[in-house]
Amino acid sequence: MSNENPPLSFDDIEALGIFQVYTGSGTGSGFLIDERHLVTNCHVVAPFRRVALELRDRTRIVGTVRRVHPLRDLALVELAHAVPGAVLALAQSDGLRSKQPVHILGFPVGLPLSVTEGVISHPRQLLDDQYFVQTDAAINPGNSGGPMLDDQKRIIAVTTCKLTAADAVGFGIPASDVQSFIEAFRGQSAAFGLQCPACEELIESAVRYCPSCGLDLETHPDVADWFGTPEPHPLVAFVESALDSAAVDPVLARHGHQNWSFHSGSAPIKIWCCCSEHLNFSSPMVQTGTRKLAPLFEYLLAAEHAPFCFDLSGNTVRMNLVVHTSDVFANLAHPTLIERVRAFIAKADETDNLLIREFACQPAPETKRDALEHGVHAQEKDAHGEHTLP
Amino acid sequence: MPIASLSFPLPIRRRPSVAPRNFIRRDRAIELFESLRFDESVCETLAYLLPELRIPDLRTQAFSFVQGSARVHLSIAGERLVVRAVLAALPSATSATAALRYFLSRLSSTGQVFQPRLNERTIALEFADDLRLLHPHKLIEILQRLPMEADSNDGWMVGQFGVETPDREPLTALDDDDSRRAIEIWQLHWASVDELMVECRRRRSLRFLDALATYAVDQTRYLLPLNGAVRAKLNEAADVFADKDGYPNRRETTLVKCIREMRAIEGAELALSLGHANYAINPLREGTPSLLTSILGGGSTMQTIGELRASGRALEAAIELIADYHYLLAHQTWSPEIEAALRAALDGVSNRPWRDVADGLWNHANLTAKIYGSHGETDRDEPAADHDGDSRYEQ
Repeated sequence: MSNENPPLSFDDIEALGIFQVYTGSGTGSGFLIDERHLVTNCHVVAPFRRVALELRDRTRIVGTVRRVHPLRDLALVELAHAVPGAVLALAQSDGLRSKQPVHILGFPVGLPLSVTEGVISHPRQLLDDQYFVQTDAAINPGNSGGPMLDDQKRIIAVTTCKLTAADAVGFGIPASDVQSFIEAFRGQSAAFGLQCPACEELIESAVRYCPSCGLDLETHPDVADWFGTPEPHPLVAFVESALDSAAVDPVLARHGHQNWSFHSGSAPIKIWCCCSEHLNFSSPMVQTGTRKLAPLFEYLLAAEHAPFCFDLSGNTVRMNLVVHTSDVFANLAHPTLIERVRAFIAKADETDNLLIREFACQPAPETKRDALEHGVHAQEKDAHGEHTLP
Repeated sequence: MPIASLSFPLPIRRRPSVAPRNFIRRDRAIELFESLRFDESVCETLAYLLPELRIPDLRTQAFSFVQGSARVHLSIAGERLVVRAVLAALPSATSATAALRYFLSRLSSTGQVFQPRLNERTIALEFADDLRLLHPHKLIEILQRLPMEADSNDGWMVGQFGVETPDREPLTALDDDDSRRAIEIWQLHWASVDELMVECRRRRSLRFLDALATYAVDQTRYLLPLNGAVRAKLNEAADVFADKDGYPNRRETTLVKCIREMRAIEGAELALSLGHANYAINPLREGTPSLLTSILGGGSTMQTIGELRASGRALEAAIELIADYHYLLAHQTWSPEIEAALRAALDGVSNRPWRDVADGLWNHANLTAKIYGSHGETDRDEPAADHDGDSRYEQ
C-alpha cells in the first residue's frame, strides 16, 4: 500500500476561488489569494485599470488593478468587496517533476468554469529568457490567468500562453514567481504600481524613463497604455455613455472587444458590433410556450414597438434595437440615440415579465429568475407544472 | 451513357436597364446631410439610387417606386422619413400562426434597421426614423435591402400561408413563345443537372459539387424571370446546397432532393412563377474589373482548373468554368461590351464536347481578365469604365 495521500477530488470546482475576469478587450480567468484580492495575467486586464469579476450567481463586481508585471505577465486585482471561494495554496516550484499530473482550471472560450488535465512536460522550460512550467494540458483563450493545480489542489503555475504552431505545448508562470509578485504587493502602499519590464523597479506614476534603469517607458508597448487614458473608439464611447445614462456601470458590462453583456433586472442584454454598419442591442428574454402563440406573435410584430422589434431564434424571443453606426459617427442626435438605448434597457426588464404573465412564455436560459417580477416566477412555475401533467 | 455536353440558350429574363450610378450625387447627399439640410439630403440620395425617376418634395407628395413585385412608399411626416412595403394581409388569426412565425423568425432580425410590422391585419416591412438619423449611407442601405426583401417575399406566401397580397406590383406574363421556351429550358436544365449529379457522386469531389451547385441555381437565375413559389423553394434549397462552408453530405442530399423537386414541376406550375418585373433600383451588383480578375484572371482556382485540363479531366474543368461564367452573368451587371464578351464565350461552347468547353472557356477567361481586369489597380468605388472601340475579342 502506498503511504501517499490520495489525490483530492475535483468534483466541487465551483467552490474554488477561481473567477472569470471581464474587460473591454476580452475575458480571462483569475484566482483568489485572499477574499479581497485576485491574481490573473497582465495581458488579461491590460490596459484597463478597472475590470469586472463574475461571481457564480452571474452578478459582477468591479475590481481595481493594483499591480502589474508586464514582463512576467502577472496582475493583482483588488475586489470591491470580499467574495466567497476557497483560496488555494501555492506549491513549491522546486518540487515539480516531468510527467506530474496537472489540472488547469479556468473559463475556456467563455464557457463556465471547467477543468482540463495533462502532465508537466517540462518543469522549468526556458522561453524568451524566462522560465515556464510547460504542460500538454489543453489551454484555450479564456484560460489565461487561471491556476494550474497539482493533485493536492496546490497552485503550481499561472496559465499564460501556448504555442499556436504546435500541439499541446502550453506554459504557466511558476508559483515561485507568483509568490514573489504577491509578497511585493503586500508591501506596496501606492494605489497602483507597474514593475519595469527591464529591472522590475516599481513605477507608481507616469514617467518617461525608468528612474532605476533608464528604460523608455512611454514608448514601451507593454507599458505605454498603463499611465495614460487611451482614447476609446467612438462606438465604445457611445455605448458606454448610453449605459451610463441607463445607470449601468460600463466596467461591469464589458465583455470583450466592442461587446457588452449584463442584466437589466431579470432580462439579459447583449450589445455587439456585427459589421461596420450596425450596433446591435438584443435581449434573449423568454421562450415561447406551447399555447396562445398567434396572439403572442401578433403582439411581438405590432408596430407599436418601433423602434424596437422582436424576433424568434428557435423558440427564444429576442427584443432588439439596431443603431446604425453612421448615426453614431455623424453625432447629430446622440441624445436621441442614448435615450433610445436607455428606453430599450428599461423596456427589456418590463417585457419579459409581461410575456410570461400574459402569453405563457417561459424564462430564457439566461434570464435571472430571481429578479423576475414578484408573482411572475410563481406563475411561470405553475405554467410549467401544467404542461407536465399527464 | 454520361452526359456529353451542355447547351447555353439565350436568356428570357430581361437584363435590368438601369443607368450607372453617379457617385457625385451620393457625395453631394452626404455634404447636404452634414450641412443639416436633411430634406435635400434625402432627395439627393433618392436621386442617386433612382436616377431615372423624378423625386418629388416628400413633405407634400408621397413617393413610390417599384422593385420587382414590391411597391415601396416613402413620405416625410413631421421630422421623420417613413419607408414601407406591404408584404401581406393576414387571414383569420388561427390560420395565420405559421405566417406570423415566418415573419418573426425569417424577416425580423438583429443587424437590420427595417423590420416587419403588423398594423391591423396588414404586415409590412417598415422603417421610420428622425431625419437627423438618416445619413445617406444608412438610407442607401435601407432603400437597397428593404425593397429586395419585400420583392423576395412575394406571391409564394399566398400558397404557403393563405395570406392575401394587397399593394403588390403585378408581373408581366411571358408571351406564348417565351413561355414554351422557358419550360423547355427548365426541363433541359434540371435533366442535365441530374445527370451531372451522377458524375459528381461518382467522382466524390467537393470542387465538382461546388461548381455544380453554383451552376444549378445560377443558370436559372440568369435565364429565367423566376418569381413566386418556385423561386422561394429553389432559393431555400440553394441556401444549403450552394453554401461552400456547409457539410458536404447535407449539401449533396439537399441538391439531389432539389433536383427531384424541380424536375417534378409541371409546365403550368412553372408558368405561375414566371413573369417579367421592373426594378427601379438595379437588383444586381455592378461588376468591377477586380471581380473579373479574381474569378477569371489566375489565382489558385484558375491554376487548379488549368491542372484539371492538363491532366485530361475536361468535364471537371469545364463545369468550374461554366459555373464562373454563369455567376458573373447572373449576379452582376456589366458594360454592354463586357456582357457581350461573356455571353459570346457561352455561345461559343454551347453543345460542344467537354474538352472544347474547357479549352474555349479557359482561353476566353484569360483573355477577358487581361483586357477587362483590374491589372493590379485598387478597386474604384465606381463602375468599370467602358473601353473604346469595337470588341477586341478574338473568338
